[in-house]
Amino acid sequence: MSTALQPTAAEQALGVSLPSRRMEDWRWTDLRARINKPYPPQKVQAPARDVERLLAASPFAKIAKARVVFVNGALDEKHSRLSGLNIGPVDAKLKITDPVIALNSTLKAEGVRLKFSETQDQPVEIIHITTDAAPRALAVHNRIEVADGASAFVIETFLGEGDYVLNAVTEIAVGKGAHLDRLKLQDDSSASTHLAQSIYELEEASRLNDVLVLKGSALTRQNGTLAFNGQHAEAKISGAYLLKGKQHCDTALVINHNVPHCTSRELFKCVMDDDARGIFQGKVVVARDAQKTDGKQSSHALLLSERAEFDAKPELEIYADDVVCGHGATAGDLNHDHMFYLKSRGIPEAEAKALLIAAFVGEAFDMVANDELRAALAGLAESWVVNK
Amino acid sequence: MADQDTIDLVKTIDVDKYKYGFETDIESEYAPIGLSEDIVRFISAKKNEPAWMLEWRLEAYRVWKEMDEPTWAKVSYPKIDFQKIYYYAAPKRSAAPKSLDEIDPKLLETYAKLGIPLKEQEILAGVRKQGEKSQLDEEGNEVAQSRVAVDAVFDSVSVVTTFKDELAKAGVIFCSISEALREHPELVKQYLGSVVPQGDNYYAALNAAVFSDGSFVYVPPGVRCPMELSTYFRMNARNTGQFERTLIIADKGSYVSYLEGCTAPTREESQLHAAVVELVALEDAEIKYSTVQNWYPGDAEGKGGVYNFVTKRGDCRGAHSKISWTQVETGSAITWKYPSCILRGDHSRGEFYSIAISNGRQQVDSGTKMIHLGKNTSSRIISKGIAAGRSDNTYRGLVSAHRKALNARNFTQCDSLLIGDKCGAHTVPYIEAKTSTAQFEHEATTSKISDDQMFYCMSRGLSEEEAVALIVNGFVRDVLQQLPMEFMAETQKLIGISLEGSVG
Repeated sequence: MSTALQPTAAEQALGVSLPSRRMEDWRWTDLRARINKPYPPQKVQAPARDVERLLAASPFAKIAKARVVFVNGALDEKHSRLSGLNIGPVDAKLKITDPVIALNSTLKAEGVRLKFSETQDQPVEIIHITTDAAPRALAVHNRIEVADGASAFVIETFLGEGDYVLNAVTEIAVGKGAHLDRLKLQDDSSASTHLAQSIYELEEASRLNDVLVLKGSALTRQNGTLAFNGQHAEAKISGAYLLKGKQHCDTALVINHNVPHCTSRELFKCVMDDDARGIFQGKVVVARDAQKTDGKQSSHALLLSERAEFDAKPELEIYADDVVCGHGATAGDLNHDHMFYLKSRGIPEAEAKALLIAAFVGEAFDMVANDELRAALAGLAESWVVNK
Repeated sequence: MADQDTIDLVKTIDVDKYKYGFETDIESEYAPIGLSEDIVRFISAKKNEPAWMLEWRLEAYRVWKEMDEPTWAKVSYPKIDFQKIYYYAAPKRSAAPKSLDEIDPKLLETYAKLGIPLKEQEILAGVRKQGEKSQLDEEGNEVAQSRVAVDAVFDSVSVVTTFKDELAKAGVIFCSISEALREHPELVKQYLGSVVPQGDNYYAALNAAVFSDGSFVYVPPGVRCPMELSTYFRMNARNTGQFERTLIIADKGSYVSYLEGCTAPTREESQLHAAVVELVALEDAEIKYSTVQNWYPGDAEGKGGVYNFVTKRGDCRGAHSKISWTQVETGSAITWKYPSCILRGDHSRGEFYSIAISNGRQQVDSGTKMIHLGKNTSSRIISKGIAAGRSDNTYRGLVSAHRKALNARNFTQCDSLLIGDKCGAHTVPYIEAKTSTAQFEHEATTSKISDDQMFYCMSRGLSEEEAVALIVNGFVRDVLQQLPMEFMAETQKLIGISLEGSVG
């Protein structure tokens, strides 16, 4: 039986072949069905007022002092506040390991290298704005570097309007003894497709705390590969899904414990309403000599509608014996006992539900080490519950 | 320090010490080597099968020819040449035996060596004493009969089935599948392939085309099978594949417990075993299926050993039905096996308890599938993997709830234990919840025997081997308890042999 598929018009326009569901990593996400019409790569000039309106829509607009603004895939220095930032061109060369990176290369993504040589207390926001225009594909490629011993907080925000395919690759390199906090908010237009890849490299004794809040786009695919290159490093990757309608969100994370004495934690809290579908694929690979590894991953789904769906594949691949690894996954609806408890105390049903949902995703938001940002996220979740 | 010693001990494990590695010199009748439509016809003719059965086989063969060998499992082995295998080997005999006396004494000797209680007096001297409570009986009722009925399959043919008459009194049909094809064709025709269709997967299709024998069980409505049923599979002849097919039907409100054991002689070349097991549980029926798989695992360097590619599936077809799989996997060079439950009936329940031990160069890729289709269905998975030596041990499982499977409930726990730093333990679970009313919980851990545990045991005077044995037995206890009495003692010993060196 032949496994080769004829390239579709959409694939010809993009210049790459899209992954099919016959590929194990894409078994639950049918990109060929989603991208079923041509999205030609195009540079579009955006009216300033559209840009300003979208910029103001960022829930973090008032929190981050410094910001790097991308409009339709290109750096917009006019709207950015770059003072005090070390910004240079990004090395476009990427090792092509999967379809998302391949698309990024083909689309000749632009981007910056943001380097932190010393400790920066204030969060820096990278905002990606996509304005309404003809259906098109666009790509960005950024690199965040934290030098040895330094620490930084970076927010990546994705906002947009209209129908587009956005491909975003973010390289994250945390140096020896360095520390990086990142918060990614994906609130792209509800008609868009968001394909992202995070490539993490952690050196000795470094710490990474990454929180992904995925709530926009009709289809989101968030890939991540993390490599521990030095011992005693620690990585936490958390995620929250807020999905409704026919939204589809698929996260695929691979944590490579290449060296001993590293710790990794993944916590995903996924809320799905209506016909939404959430997917979590996590893989922890412990190499032969990565003894004393401590790896845990957990994914929890809250299904608010009978038609909502959650699929999970929490995988462990372990070749070292002196390790502590585990994963947990749960799926279910709101706990009836909890609802009863709240209602019996006079809290109306809608409010009780909102409270429980907020508490559920709140666990992921709690990972954000910044009070203002946490409050902004809580507000975001609240308005999601009210407006659904 | 203690664990370093443990590792050293495990390294010295003599995995060549396979107790069942002897070969019985019995004259056998073979089909010509290789596989073709003619071979399928040959096997069918040998079995005097009805025409529809031959058609069924040929259809399977044609489907198989078009299929590709699956490669998704985490196992690696040289490509199998399906034309270099004998698909039929049978101990020669003049006519069908009517009693044990007519059977080749060498065969009986073989079974005696294997410790299989074929003769009735041996069965009467069974493991369980009168009045002792059966482990199987959930209500705690006493099971009056404690004997075991055995169907022994030697290479391709079922040689003897004991206790047939007594079972017949209760209405239970327990015979070889070729006999069932002759005596009860309507039952076979109705159910064969209804759980695992011919084209289900590569090895199931191969099996459907060339299966030579196996066991058939039918328990009529309302009957609680008076004794444990058991099949013993023995692969003896050289270069043969064993393809047996088991079909168990529990009619409304009935109950049956079935045990399966397997061994093979020590050989340098690998042997193929591709079996299919189909279980059908109708309304209120319960089937308990236990396996102790101890095929020859190959030597320390991974030479030889059985390739065990097995499709096992149970269909909880009726409401309130229950199927429970318990497996102890210690043998085989490669294990590729996923006993599954299709929970079709409302309120049906599926269970999977597994101990998979790999040592030497063994590769295990095993797990289960729980497919929730009916309302208020529940399932439970307990899997314990132990990897030692240079082996790879993978749990691969799927739990899925269909959109209409309201209130589906699953609990999964898979734990892996690593002994030594040359082995691998992997967990690949798939969870698919298509309805919010499904409650799924999944937990997995991977660890080694902790120094604290070892220290604690040894400070109380246990030797290192005893300590490891104690801890490993504790680790697998949840599953051991699910085994019928007859298998429990044997299994504990088997665990010891499998991890020899560390367990003593």
